[in-house]
Amino acid sequence: MEILANLGLGFATAFSPMNLLYCFFGVFLGTLIGVLPGIGALATISLLLPVTFHLPATAALVMLAGVYYGAQYGGSTASILLNLPGTPAAAVACLDGYPMAKQGRAGVALFMTTVGSFAGASLGIVALSVFGPKIAEIGLAFGPAEYFSMMLLGLIAASTLSQQSPVKGIAMVVFGLLLGMVGTDVNSGALRFTFGLPGLIDGINLVAIAMGLFGVSEVIASITSLHAGRVAKGGISLRSMVPTRDDLSRSWLPMLRGGGVGSFFGALPGAGASIASFMSYAVEKRVARDPSRFGKGAIEGVVAPETANNASAQTAFIPTLTLGIPGDATMALMLGALMIHGIIPGPGLVSEHPDLFWGLIASFWIGNVLLVILNLPLIGIWVRILAIPYRLLYPAILLFVCLGVYSINNSVFDVGVAMVFGAVGYVMILLRFEPAPLLLGFILGPLMEEHLRRALLLSRGEVTVFFERPISAGFMIATFLLLGWAILSMIRRRRPAA
Amino acid sequence: MRNRDWGDVIGGILLVIVGLYFSIQAGEYDLGTLRRMGPGFFPRTLGIFLIALGLLIATLALFRDGDLPKPRLRPFAAILGGILAFSLSVEWVGMVPATFLLVGISTFAEPAARPVPTLILAVALSVIAVVIFSHGLSIPLPAFRWPF
Repeated sequence: MEILANLGLGFATAFSPMNLLYCFFGVFLGTLIGVLPGIGALATISLLLPVTFHLPATAALVMLAGVYYGAQYGGSTASILLNLPGTPAAAVACLDGYPMAKQGRAGVALFMTTVGSFAGASLGIVALSVFGPKIAEIGLAFGPAEYFSMMLLGLIAASTLSQQSPVKGIAMVVFGLLLGMVGTDVNSGALRFTFGLPGLIDGINLVAIAMGLFGVSEVIASITSLHAGRVAKGGISLRSMVPTRDDLSRSWLPMLRGGGVGSFFGALPGAGASIASFMSYAVEKRVARDPSRFGKGAIEGVVAPETANNASAQTAFIPTLTLGIPGDATMALMLGALMIHGIIPGPGLVSEHPDLFWGLIASFWIGNVLLVILNLPLIGIWVRILAIPYRLLYPAILLFVCLGVYSINNSVFDVGVAMVFGAVGYVMILLRFEPAPLLLGFILGPLMEEHLRRALLLSRGEVTVFFERPISAGFMIATFLLLGWAILSMIRRRRPAA
Repeated sequence: MRNRDWGDVIGGILLVIVGLYFSIQAGEYDLGTLRRMGPGFFPRTLGIFLIALGLLIATLALFRDGDLPKPRLRPFAAILGGILAFSLSVEWVGMVPATFLLVGISTFAEPAARPVPTLILAVALSVIAVVIFSHGLSIPLPAFRWPF
């Protein structure tokens, strides 16, 4: 029962007063920004990155992770009440959640999503504690060729499985990889693509680029779109949240299925919460006896995707912590936070920093219990927060962006970088290019180049090395299958859905 | 003129320009060989990929209906202008005046200007900024600085 001993160590770490405090702060903030449309987990975590300089590594990760999965809880609130998703993954919850609210069943929908979220997270945490260490053991055998192939698979998966056209996704990944090249080349010391600017010698600052793409550009785009904010009248009483027997009997199987779907997609590098929730909705619609109920307030259509995105938020830590491969852009920022503290995420992390790994897992349990408390009795507060006008909110967001970016290096130049990427991000929103694959490419770019160079140095320039080693060949085959599937679906679809 | 997906045409062309810049600039650095790659090799390859992808996106879009996205210049200019003003002024006059500039300029993103709530917001945010960042995170920025 090694796992119990490990969890014991984890809980001992997580129950230290400081870690508890940061866990609470993280999930509280996560719920808050999850509820509020127009600011997401990614922007918040990049805002908090400078703060984590001042914290021990475990506390920093506990807090950032809390924001991440806390946002998954909060995200559905605005979907159900306003038909406006608080986070991208909660967009599916609009489909049946808003009709439920219009039928006066908003309370039930909010209650059941919280229960589903907790169930999904629990399943995800179990998967993480069972499979995480196993995958780390496999990862110990990885060489540069395997790492390169795996990152390639992750990037291709991230760009082809997203909602937009696969070609645009891949183009964004390549753009991101190129931006990752800016700065000093570690092997030769050559300065690359710096435009002669001293501020770019160390590369483009991660926080500045993330804040620009996800903070500034979101604010610009939201100002014009976020005017229709009216919360359902009467508020949400605790009594209105009690589900009927029919609701419960309809919900438990979708929760289990959603948890399974979510755990699986969360663990895939490159997939993520949005994909998990969309897939789970599709599954429910397919297995339903009467699919025509979906879109008109079917409780299965709210519960299953919400369970799925919370399960995926936990299993997303599997590739991130055990292989050092971030599943999505938010996970990439977590990697950044670890590296700030000199911890290299990878197969060695579980054995070298067991207190961090198991402490984090234990904090997930604690955090999820806290989230149930925050979301059930206190739901009224979150509903009222939705009534804050955006015109008071966005100057505050901008100020935190500016000061947060400035505080990393005490550099005005970085604030300018955030401004430039705010403009780039707004153009991308207009032209319907997704920023998340770009950020993923940006973070993986230098790592991929490094592993490619090393792999080819070891193989004396033979490109076949990526296909001769079995694990690497497996990743390569999966990559080509994904690409083939993406091309096929493009030909079949012709016109992408807007 | 036929209706085409002009958004993707523009996007594709922009990607081609970016790809051209990176692949040409990468030629300035040592390309090396497959066995011993120089600093120019990976970016050159990626740049060429990006050009190809941009051409593909633009070409596909020519055979497809779509609409031209309408940019909203007012919020775009106001928000970016606010950040620019902040970054140019903060080290020169201090945190509080820079916050006022940021809040003041960025509220022009919305058509209805409301001087009084904006002023209250700027005061409140200045206090928060000074407390959290100057005192809490000890950023070396004073609340006010007299440049003269």
